[in-house]
Amino acid sequence: MKAIRIILQIVILSAFSMLGEAVHHFFHLPIPGSIIGLILLLTGLSFKMVPVKLIEDGAGFLLSFLPLLFIPAMAGVINYPSLFSGNGALLMLIVVLSTIVTMVAAGIASQWLEQKAAKRKEKKKCNSHLSQSL
Amino acid sequence: MQQPFIAILIILLTIAAYLAMVKVYQRFTYPILIPVLTTTVIVILGLLAFHISYSDYMVGGKWINALLGPAVVALAYPLYNQRHIIMKYSFPIIGGVFAGLFTGMISGLLFAEVFGIKRDLILSILPKSITTPVAIQIAAGLGGVPSMTVVFVMIAGFSGVILGPRIMKWVRIRSHLGKGIAFGSASHALGTSKAFEYGELTVSMSSVSMTLCALLGSVFGPVVVWIFQV
Repeated sequence: MKAIRIILQIVILSAFSMLGEAVHHFFHLPIPGSIIGLILLLTGLSFKMVPVKLIEDGAGFLLSFLPLLFIPAMAGVINYPSLFSGNGALLMLIVVLSTIVTMVAAGIASQWLEQKAAKRKEKKKCNSHLSQSL
Repeated sequence: MQQPFIAILIILLTIAAYLAMVKVYQRFTYPILIPVLTTTVIVILGLLAFHISYSDYMVGGKWINALLGPAVVALAYPLYNQRHIIMKYSFPIIGGVFAGLFTGMISGLLFAEVFGIKRDLILSILPKSITTPVAIQIAAGLGGVPSMTVVFVMIAGFSGVILGPRIMKWVRIRSHLGKGIAFGSASHALGTSKAFEYGELTVSMSSVSMTLCALLGSVFGPVVVWIFQV
């Protein structure tokens, strides 16, 4: 029974993906169809138009096998043997350097904003304490 | 009658190889043995050994590939589950994600420009910090080479997971929130799997920023390309 439910729910998720694809083509949007499908589903869930029960098993199943779904696309490097030459090493270096810079920027920015928000809250707390003691 | 048979055989063999590699990874958890990498190597070696072309493999492979779209849609489910945490920390999340997203795209572009990389490869590097199914589509939309993007996305994932903890210590990213957003924005799903070692808050932050990067990346990718006139 559960297998049938999962398959049906994947069909529903595919329908959202195709709907997103249709919106993407119709309005010539730069956003990929699957992402539009994600936004549509998230909107549906948030406004209770789509019950979570309708997709949760299918979504959980697909996400647990996510790495498998990348493999056919990854095997496509077979058509680009140059990646494993000297030029390929250079490309890898670029990606690694850029990843490190990205990580530092995202981490520091969010931590700084978090601390700022916490300080503001503390200040508010202090102020309310003051007014209470007065 | 032969075509469907071959397609099913390819699908089953790919799944079998993947499940076997998951077992291997459970037994030996070295980062380099991550199933998506080992299975891909097996598939490629198999194709080379039996002189099968990539387009012949894709007779079956395209059916697995077709599930990527629905899988991206499925990300709405964890995002919906974490909506309260997202609302609570919305400001640091959005700030961190924007910082990571633009640093990721622009630094990749500049490094590639400095080293004199060809245009189609630069465009393939651009979405490297974004989760694979979306990165593929962004690269295709920009005029890059999607299968190269897949490799760059994997390298971004691996380098973040392997080097991340040391770098964060070094630049003093100490909060769970900061670590999660750093992992999610730079190393997408692989970073998120690493975030499990730091606790639930780090995991939620990582998956939220991964999804936000995917969303915003598909919008701002073309904008960055346009601004820098690649």
